[in-house]
Amino acid sequence: MSSTLVAVTGAMSQVVVATAVVSGAIALAVTRRPAPALGITLDLLVAAGLLRLVGDPDWRTIAVTGTVVALRHLVSYGLRLGARSLEGAASDGGDRDSRSRPPRDLAGRLLKPAWLP
Amino acid sequence: MRRRVEELLQEVVNVLVVIVEACGAAVIIVGAVWAFLLFLWVGLRDRSTRNFVPVRLTLGRFLALGLEFQLAADVLKTAVAPSWEEIGQLAAIAAIRTALNYFLGKEIAEEKRQIEEDREGPSDAATDPTHHRRTGGSG
Repeated sequence: MSSTLVAVTGAMSQVVVATAVVSGAIALAVTRRPAPALGITLDLLVAAGLLRLVGDPDWRTIAVTGTVVALRHLVSYGLRLGARSLEGAASDGGDRDSRSRPPRDLAGRLLKPAWLP
Repeated sequence: MRRRVEELLQEVVNVLVVIVEACGAAVIIVGAVWAFLLFLWVGLRDRSTRNFVPVRLTLGRFLALGLEFQLAADVLKTAVAPSWEEIGQLAAIAAIRTALNYFLGKEIAEEKRQIEEDREGPSDAATDPTHHRRTGGSG
């Protein structure tokens, strides 16, 4: 009975991974913003990881799932922090040209070498 | 006699663990499939980032519910006397699930707050004099 459950959840976790990839691709195509697409993908990947923990997993599976969950939270936190700082940079002091530009301009400025005019 | 009762108890607990874990897995699978369908619907109908937030909130609620079931199964597993190896694995899995449940709860609360702020935003903007300062807008 337990082995059947493990087999079913293992197969379903593969299906959920596929839905994660498709959902992320759709979100990226629709919004053209990587942050929400990555968030959606990571949410569904966590669901797949939880399904893999059903039954009696070995140490390797536990370690991999724990690492994925921790990484997922780290990436989500980084994305939220980045979004907040970009919003703050875009809205803080809106009458100044350099700060009121959209995020793409801000990223361009940050990536541009200092010696370029 | 005592050994027989212990064996019987172990069998009953094992069956209960499988049932509760199956319930948790079913909740997670249904949540993932439901969220996927909603993502498709929202993505193809409304092409805006804001509409993805309620869907993520729904998925987070399903995941939290599934985790509650799985934690209940973990608690049931401790009813029978396991080996140190099994205790270690159980502790690691329970730690992952508990931490995830905690962070999911925080994320759900934050996303709910965002949705409520989005709903209240337009009406506040017209009446609330501090809205200008909060949003940092210059206009």
